[in-house]
Amino acid sequence: MQPLSRRTFLKGLTASKASAWLALPPLEAMFNASGAAYAAEAAVPETRFVLWFNGNGIPEKYWIPTETGRDFTLTPCLSPLAPFRSDIHVITGLDNPAARLPGPGNDHHRSMSALMTGTQFTGRGAGGPSIDHVIAASLGGNSRFRSLQIGVSQESFGESVQRNMSWAGYDRPLPPEMLPHRLFDRLFGQRELGWIERKRSVLDAVRGDAGELRRSLGRSDQARLDEHLSSVRDLERAITSLPPPYHQVDPPEYDGDMKDWPRIARLQSDLLVHAFATHQTRVASYMLTKCQGLTRFPWLGYTAARHHDYTHRDGKAPGADGPDGQRILRDICRWHVEEFAYLLAKLRSVAEGGATLLDRCCLLFVHEHAEANDHKNNGLSVILAGHAANLNTGLHSRATGTIGDLYRTVANEVMAAALERFPTAERNFRDLVKS
Amino acid sequence: MRVSAKPVLLAAVLAGLLAAQKPAPRFARDLYPLLQKAGCPECHNPDGVASVTRLHFPEADAGSPRIEAFGRSLAMLVDRAKPEESLLLQKPTLRIPHTGGKRIVPGSPEEAALRSWIGVLARLAPAPAVRAATTTASPAEQTLLRRLTHSQYDNAVRDLLGDVSRPARQFPSEDYVNGFKNQYQAQSVSPILAEAYGTAAEKLARSVRPPECSADCADRFVTGFGRKAFRRPLTAEERRRYAGLYGRLGAPGVVEAMLQSPGFLFWTASTSVAEWKRYARASRLSFFLWNTTPDEPLLDRAARGDLDAPEGVEREVRRMLDDPRAREALDEFVSEWLRFDTVAAMVKERRSFPQFNREVALAMAEESRAFVADLVWSGRNFMEFFNGGHTFVNADLASIYGLEAPESEFGRVAYPADSERSGILGQGTFLAVTSKPAETSPTARGLFVREQFLCQKVPQPPPGTNTNLAPASAENPLTTRQRLGAHVTNEACASCHNLIDPIGYGFEKFNAVGARQEKIRITIPTYNRREPPKTLELDVDSRGWIAGIPNSDFSTPKELGRILATTPQCQQCVVKQVFRYAMGRSETAADRPVLERVFAEFRDSQFRFKQLMIAVVRWTEFPPAD
Repeated sequence: MQPLSRRTFLKGLTASKASAWLALPPLEAMFNASGAAYAAEAAVPETRFVLWFNGNGIPEKYWIPTETGRDFTLTPCLSPLAPFRSDIHVITGLDNPAARLPGPGNDHHRSMSALMTGTQFTGRGAGGPSIDHVIAASLGGNSRFRSLQIGVSQESFGESVQRNMSWAGYDRPLPPEMLPHRLFDRLFGQRELGWIERKRSVLDAVRGDAGELRRSLGRSDQARLDEHLSSVRDLERAITSLPPPYHQVDPPEYDGDMKDWPRIARLQSDLLVHAFATHQTRVASYMLTKCQGLTRFPWLGYTAARHHDYTHRDGKAPGADGPDGQRILRDICRWHVEEFAYLLAKLRSVAEGGATLLDRCCLLFVHEHAEANDHKNNGLSVILAGHAANLNTGLHSRATGTIGDLYRTVANEVMAAALERFPTAERNFRDLVKS
Repeated sequence: MRVSAKPVLLAAVLAGLLAAQKPAPRFARDLYPLLQKAGCPECHNPDGVASVTRLHFPEADAGSPRIEAFGRSLAMLVDRAKPEESLLLQKPTLRIPHTGGKRIVPGSPEEAALRSWIGVLARLAPAPAVRAATTTASPAEQTLLRRLTHSQYDNAVRDLLGDVSRPARQFPSEDYVNGFKNQYQAQSVSPILAEAYGTAAEKLARSVRPPECSADCADRFVTGFGRKAFRRPLTAEERRRYAGLYGRLGAPGVVEAMLQSPGFLFWTASTSVAEWKRYARASRLSFFLWNTTPDEPLLDRAARGDLDAPEGVEREVRRMLDDPRAREALDEFVSEWLRFDTVAAMVKERRSFPQFNREVALAMAEESRAFVADLVWSGRNFMEFFNGGHTFVNADLASIYGLEAPESEFGRVAYPADSERSGILGQGTFLAVTSKPAETSPTARGLFVREQFLCQKVPQPPPGTNTNLAPASAENPLTTRQRLGAHVTNEACASCHNLIDPIGYGFEKFNAVGARQEKIRITIPTYNRREPPKTLELDVDSRGWIAGIPNSDFSTPKELGRILATTPQCQQCVVKQVFRYAMGRSETAADRPVLERVFAEFRDSQFRFKQLMIAVVRWTEFPPAD
């Protein structure tokens, strides 16, 4: 079949009777030889945003660099970022004041809601939309997916605010897709033109039903039905605007070990990079581990206890209350950074319009706590990475503002999302982008 | 004398005017935030640990008129003659015993504000008991739309299409709110769920055989399947829309669309469309009692008007309870109430508990399922849930519990006379799930009893609390109970942990997998990889009590079972749990008349669970007039 450009392909969906196939090159081919296939696609440089999260904070002494400015030494936890020194900006000392509002929940619940949304935990979920969703709401209108939510480790206490990092609004979680084969299917499953038309007819009927039902409902029920409708519209868009076609499909090689998190993390990162490269979305959230997560780490050799147990020095886990425990946490957090570095490497390996995908990306790596032992939620440490909008990189800064200040500045100055307000954002962050 | 009275009067008027210039405290603005900060509403609410007291704060989203009314209602805690001795002052400052501890520091600005409000209340004319704070419309009344839970979805497609593949297992998992997965607050449809609905509908539709065709077959299929899927007749508009879809995509297209339609995915607790009202009742009964879509005979009876009056509804409910679908529905309720999901996900430290594995965890859930099913369907007193002298175990569980193995797997076994187990409190579902991998957690056990069996929410630690306990060490070998003692010596922790931990202490004779322990084994880590951790054995202290319930000292599950079975709060909690599950929301003050009647019927039936379900339907469908 003749490969089509994205534009003609989309036009062809309605005009042509030919069956259109959508496929994906094998991973290796994509990242080595045929990265240029994507380059041809990008007419206007497109910035992308990734909000990356893993739970349970950090061991500060192994994580936060001693020096600020450009000449900082990478700490043991940050060492996997050595190849990306000039691509990152480590920012420490951010406050998360909404986490200290009195209300329901434990410190993890409260800090997580505050971290993602700047609002108070509702007792069930976050109290408002998360920053990735706010940016997606502004930018996502023309992409196949307004945003993607991707997850890896599933081990947690299982409550909504622990399992989800992205929120569409008050108590409205956007759950991450945690299975690579399902994410693959969403992004690259084979579709025929007949299938698309069929789906469209079906969803037309669903929307008709909803409109009719809506009239018989009270106002708050109407709002709930509208949520459903907006999800249906997102689905319709995902179905009717497909990524460009390729000749070959290779679903992720995946042996079905549901707890091989490093393997799954890499497959998910690969798929996210494919999604960006094929312009399927501009915004993603990536939840490596859960809030107050209970991940076990057989590949690091730590099987005695779970992640959250290790963060507390009171003997929840044997050995976690001594120097050994701190060293275990160091290794765990280095693994988190290692997976982040893997994503950076993949983004850097894909060419787009004379640059790389990493040049077009802004990634922000956050945790719900600083030092987790005492559930600290001031002095948060984050990593900004990528070169979208000329991000100022290659340095470590100690900041005085809030995480909301940082979010709003990133949304406006990097992502051009025209964000007037975000909870807890009062000041603009200075020198985030090179002037 | 007549003349001199005038200046006196004038002075009084002036004084009054001057006093008015100093702004009088306004409750919503000046006092309420302060009491919230002190944490009062977290226990003093209808579901709180202090629910038995007279003080109930309005819901968090109450408007300021209700808050002001609540502020005035506090007059009941004020001693007009001696404001200084008002409970409203004495309790929160801990001048007299207060289960919640010292919430307001004597001499602080907060106390001064409270005193000035007490002054205002003391000067108020004695009013008839103010109930304004608790008698407003239920906030949930506006929310009538309920989404199928995943298990309802699976059951509905089984009943509609004969598909038993349980496709909803592929959906994003559901959240527990108020203890259940069917609460309206957790029922939003995210894009990923909409997509999952679409994918499932597409697969399910593939198996649909087009009907043998005659001229009107499109219309017959659309009307027939539509009535079953939407649980009511289609409107003319819907029939037209789906006939058109049938023309383009045939029967499978109609099925695929209907299975994603809000007409199928949502059901309404009430409807403004007159001709749907009868059908809506059939749906409510069916999703509560069968956890699935109503079948055609039920829809037919609803359409005929058989469900229009309480007698007809009761007849129908009894008939429905005799159906096997009712048993499955009860299992679903039990699996959520007792959190079988966490039972199945339990992990235990392998060296300490070699007998524990996933099969054992699943057996524990099966034990509780069989135990409750027997109580309900054999028509026993449901309070045996707490004090029953028997259980249903397999050989593995029998060996962990120290019982004779039953003749058949999950056969009934009576506890020996000297056993200290009883009801659910002696089962692994409770004892093991509330423990950590290596040791028991009296806090988790106490919380479980408070939340699941007494329907009391216990506040979480305030922000920034250091929740670490002193570790046990070789020099300082401590049981968990002893380490938890820190909670009580630290004032910030004590106010809540006094409510929680002592309940858990009463279970200390049972270890983290629910087996008897004569000694408590603790492990002291060594910071040296060559030296293995040390294990010590310490004595068990299992004296426990429930703060707030008089004469509730106990030291075994059996003793607590006896207390709970006869405690009204616990009996009422069973009613509340069923109500929450049936209605998809928490009860509110407006539901009190319904709950009172349901409880009375439950109690008068000697706590027959079937009667409880009948009463819940009876009184929620036909609420009492007052």
